[in-house]
Order: sequence, then structure tokens, then C-alpha cells
Amino acid sequence: MKKNRTDDNHRPERRTFLKAAAGFMGSTLFGGVPFRAFAQAAGLAPADRCFVFVYFNGGWDQLLAFDPKDPDEFTADRAAETRILPGYNLINTAGYESIPLQPDVGGVRSNIAFGPAVGNEFAKHFDVMTVVRGINMNTLGHEVGYRYFLTGKMPIGSAARGSSTATEIVGQMKPRVPISNIAFNVESYNDRYPGYANALRVSRKDDLLLTLKPSSQMLDSEIEKQLVDFRGQPITCEEAAYGARGVGTTYQNSRGQMEQVMAQQLEASFRFELNTPEMGLLRDAYGLDTSGRYDTEAGRAAMVATALKKGIAQCVTINLTGGLDTHFGTQATQATNQRRGFAALANLITDLKKSDHPSGGKFIDHTTIMVFSEFSRTPLINAAGGRDHHLSNSCAIIGAGVKHNYVFGKSGDIGMSPGTFDLRTGAATPTGENIFPEHVIATVLASAGLDYSITRVEPLRPILA
Amino acid sequence: MRRWLMTAALLALSTGCNKTPEEKVGPTVDGQLEPVANPHQPGDFGELPDPEAQNGSVGRAARRLTVSQLDAAILEAVGRRWVNGSDGIDARATSLGRADFALVSSENTEPNLVFAKFLEDGARFVCIAQAADELKQADPTKRTLSRTLPGTWGDLRTLTDAQVREFLVYNSLRFWGAPLEGDELTKWAGFFTQAATRAETANPKRRADVLAVMCIAMLTDQRFITY
Repeated sequence: MKKNRTDDNHRPERRTFLKAAAGFMGSTLFGGVPFRAFAQAAGLAPADRCFVFVYFNGGWDQLLAFDPKDPDEFTADRAAETRILPGYNLINTAGYESIPLQPDVGGVRSNIAFGPAVGNEFAKHFDVMTVVRGINMNTLGHEVGYRYFLTGKMPIGSAARGSSTATEIVGQMKPRVPISNIAFNVESYNDRYPGYANALRVSRKDDLLLTLKPSSQMLDSEIEKQLVDFRGQPITCEEAAYGARGVGTTYQNSRGQMEQVMAQQLEASFRFELNTPEMGLLRDAYGLDTSGRYDTEAGRAAMVATALKKGIAQCVTINLTGGLDTHFGTQATQATNQRRGFAALANLITDLKKSDHPSGGKFIDHTTIMVFSEFSRTPLINAAGGRDHHLSNSCAIIGAGVKHNYVFGKSGDIGMSPGTFDLRTGAATPTGENIFPEHVIATVLASAGLDYSITRVEPLRPILA
Repeated sequence: MRRWLMTAALLALSTGCNKTPEEKVGPTVDGQLEPVANPHQPGDFGELPDPEAQNGSVGRAARRLTVSQLDAAILEAVGRRWVNGSDGIDARATSLGRADFALVSSENTEPNLVFAKFLEDGARFVCIAQAADELKQADPTKRTLSRTLPGTWGDLRTLTDAQVREFLVYNSLRFWGAPLEGDELTKWAGFFTQAATRAETANPKRRADVLAVMCIAMLTDQRFITY
């Protein structure tokens, strides 16, 4: 049964609510200053349920990641028959296994086999992970596959339909965090929610810092106050009549958000180069230096962790790594580029496993991470030594709301074709259905008790915890 | 006989009911246009939506300026581009919404949080710099924001109410293409006077800040970023 719920976890205390309400009343009466009152009254607290959408840009080779094949079974001799060539022996770089990884941690063996590019650091987190295999992407176009996974709706041509999943989540949950939704170098769509659900969309970390820090050029302090008061005055009837309506309202909402963000002085949270004990620990956890240049996979992972743990954002969608469209590249290029992303992601999961959440438990118990790419690469290697676009795909859902150490679905043993399954049980059956991205998105929404009716499909129930 | 009398009476009555042609009174007043037939035919244009049907709003839905339009608009309104070394509108164009034609092929004109913050940064940069320059410029024709102020201006409290209103109407036309008027003009005039008073009591005096704050307020108004 589909559910229409409000956020069960969103229960502000009465006192906090009254203080915040007073702030908003004040903003109506006296201008912009009370936005600060609202922000201070609300305080910074992590959302009870957080989401991270991690995008691997370019179309990954799933044989190296979440859908490996046994190289002893899928040999070069049988490639004409199986149409699959794992090619693990072609990665001539240290640190990459030549067989799929199936780690054993604390006496518990992983049910999930990982490709060599994932690396041991990421693979050992099998205990908080579900992998979905044999997804039918229905497209071989980069933009189409990417937007399909972002929204859970097949684009029209290459134009996205509906809202991004992160926007949908924030729209339904209405979190109290200052920037509910951050989209880092990825697209974001909002087709039915007010401005609060819009993503703060930045293309680089410097822009995030510029957005969070106060303007460097200030007027006389009293004139600044006069400006804030003037902006907060109610508008005249004439302004309203000739005002910009939808765009104007969104802009005013954005300005309100901006006031709130400025008041919180959030920029310092992302200054990883600062010589403080807190930043020192963070740099150690993510392998960062003090250069201040953090537009790397590790820097982005640290940014995600900071946004969630400091209560700055509830949803972060991030383009973590790229360079995966290796039509002409080698296995080693694909594996190296994937490894940078998975190593950073492993550090993020380790951090979330260690960090206490104020509501109890660890952050990973309150965070759902979806790891995806727009499609995968062909199971056979092309004449140029690379791999082309392939229809079948896989993804991982990590953390809260899903089963752990679990695999749902399977790609075919001939040509890694998308499988057909009884989606209620996960059993492969020739009369079953394909798994599509909307099933994965419905599952992510259902894992938090949210309305998934926009996907028009049922979630993959065996995955739900 | 009676028939003849009835006919004569009807003729007399019908003559009495005839209208005398109206005479034109005087020449056309200067500036008064003769009515011209509407050159547009039905189907040539779409009618504007009824304001009553959209909560009293007039006209079509507004759109946000693109990054290129914003760049040109700032230059036209303030008199200088937003370029501050390696920072500025060009450096922040992607996050302001400009397509990079690598990952994003269409311009995003949503006035989101990043846009609002960056516009505030840009407004402060161009307005503060322009106001500081104009304070030193004695020739009004070479000034942009303070074109209507006296040759050398100093204490802005000494401006008459008419001069303040002239300044505001001129700049509102410059920034928005629509003059301030009515209650709103009075509101802005009060804000100007308040800032001018504070500028003189500050130590040192912050006269350029008065111009700057008016410029910032107009440049970050929704009427500047929409069309």
C-alpha cells in the first residue's frame, strides 16, 4: 500500500517551535533581522534521516565494481559464447586484485562480490550495503541515463521529467536544516515543491564557500542595518501588482534562505585547511592536506560528511568522480578512476559509522547512500581496448532503511543482459519483470517511509529493512 | 379636412425631431491625438491575462535575466562590470546558471540561493566602487548614479525633498525601467534620508555609502533581475 505521510521524524520541541514562529512573525513585522532570530532559534542539528546520492560520471564498468564475474569461468576462450570478458588480468597496476573481492570481516563473510576497482577499504563495508544488479537502463545516452537515475523517471528525449529524488525527499520531509538540499556539480530539478526544496546547486567547492560566507565588502554597520530593515518592509500594492510573481517569490525565498545561511556562519565548517583539532581529525580521516585545494574525490567526500554531520544539509547529491567514459581507455584507466571514487566513499562510510548521531546510534544508521552511474560498459572489450555503452546496470544502496549484506537481481551470464525477476521476492524468472531505475528510487523513498507514488511502481520490498 | 390637418401636424413634428449637425468647437488642442483605428486585428496578438484571475498581478509571468543579460544590465545601470580580479560574474557564471555545454546544455534561470547570494556579492562590489568614484567626480555628466545631484555633492542631508525624489526616480528608471512613484517613492525617500543622516554622523563620514546602499537595494530588487 502506498503511503502519504508527513515526516514522522520532524518533531520540533514546543519551545523551539514557538521561538521560530516568533522569528517569522518578527520578520513579517520588522524586516530581515528576525530571520537571524529564526535561524538561531532553530539551531543547527543534523536531520534525523539523511540522504546522499553519489554519481559516478561517464558510465562505469560494472565488472570492476558491483557486478563482477569469475574470470576462471568467463575466460577469453569462452568469450565468443558468453559475450563476457572480465579482463581483470589487464589491470597491470599494483593494488588491484585479479579476482572478485568477497571480504570476511569479524567472521562474517560478504554475500556481495565486488569488482577489483572497488578496493578492500570499500568492500569491507558490505555489512551496511545492498547491491542491485541487472537493472535495465533502457538507454545508452549519457544525459538520459543520468537524468533517469536522478529523477526515477525516463526523460522525454533528453529532457528530465519530474523532480530530482533529493528534491522529492526534501519536499516531503521539510527538514529544518539551513540548506536542505545540496547538488554538487549535478543537475537538480523541482517541478512541484516550493523554493525550500530547491537544491543549492554549485559546480565547485569554492562556489559553495562563496555562497556560505558573508560578502567581503560591507557598508557602514548602521547603514547595513537600515538596508536589512528596508528590505524587510512590507511591499506596496503597486509592487505586488507589477511584481515578478513566481520568479519574484522564488527570489524572495532565496534571499530569506541567504539571510539564514549568512547568520549561521557555515563557511568555517568547510575550511578544511584551518589549523584546528577538529579539522586536523577530518584531514586525517579523508587523507587531505592543508593546501586548501579540495576539489578532489576525497575533498568532496569530506564536504558531504561535514554537511550532514553539522546539520547543514539533509540531502547531498554529488558528482564524486568522472573519467569513466573509456571507449578508448584501458582497463587500468577505468579501474584507477573508479578507485578514487570508491576510496573516498569508503572514508565517508567509515566516518559515518564512527560518528554518533544526536538521536542515538551512529550516523550511518540515519543515512541512506545511493551509488549509481548512468549505465555500464560493454562486457566485451572493443578493438581500441576500451568498452562502449551497455544497457544493463547495477547500483548500491548503503545505510539506513535497507537490508545489509544483500544482493537483489542478477545480470545474465550471456552478454550481461538485464534480468527478469519476480520483484516481490527477487527470484529470477523468465516471466518476471525488469528492474528499472524507478524501482530503485521507489525503494529509497520507501526506505524512509516517504510517498513513492511519483515513481508509479512498487519498491523492491525484499531490500527494505 | 381633418386628414389634411393630421398630415400637416405630423410633418411639423417630424421637422422638429431632426438633429442639427454638431459644430466642431475650436481647433485640436496641442498634444491631443486624433483617434486612430486599432491597426491590430483579432488573432494578431494574445490578450494579457486578466489580473483578477492571477491575484491582481498584471501581465505575463516574469523571467529571470540570463547571466549575459545580467552582466549587460549591471554595466548599463551602474556603469561598470562586475569583475574583481579573478573573481566576478565570469568566474561565477556556471553557478549563476550559464550552461557549460559539457554537462549542462541549457541556461538555468532559477533565482535560487546561489544566485541571490552571488548577486548580493556583485551588487556590493560594483555599487561600492562606483559610489566611491562618483564622490570624487565633480562633473555630473560623467557620473552614473548621481547624475541628478549638484556638481559637487557632500552632505546629502542638504538636498531638498524634490532633489531626493528626482534622484530616486532617475535611478529607478535606470535600474528597472519603471519610475518610483506614490507611497513607494515616499518609502525610498525616507530610506535615503535615513542613510544620509547616518553617513554624516559616522566618523569618518560615509557619504559614498548613501549612494552605494541605494544602488545595492535597487540592484538586488526583483525588478532588476526580471523582465
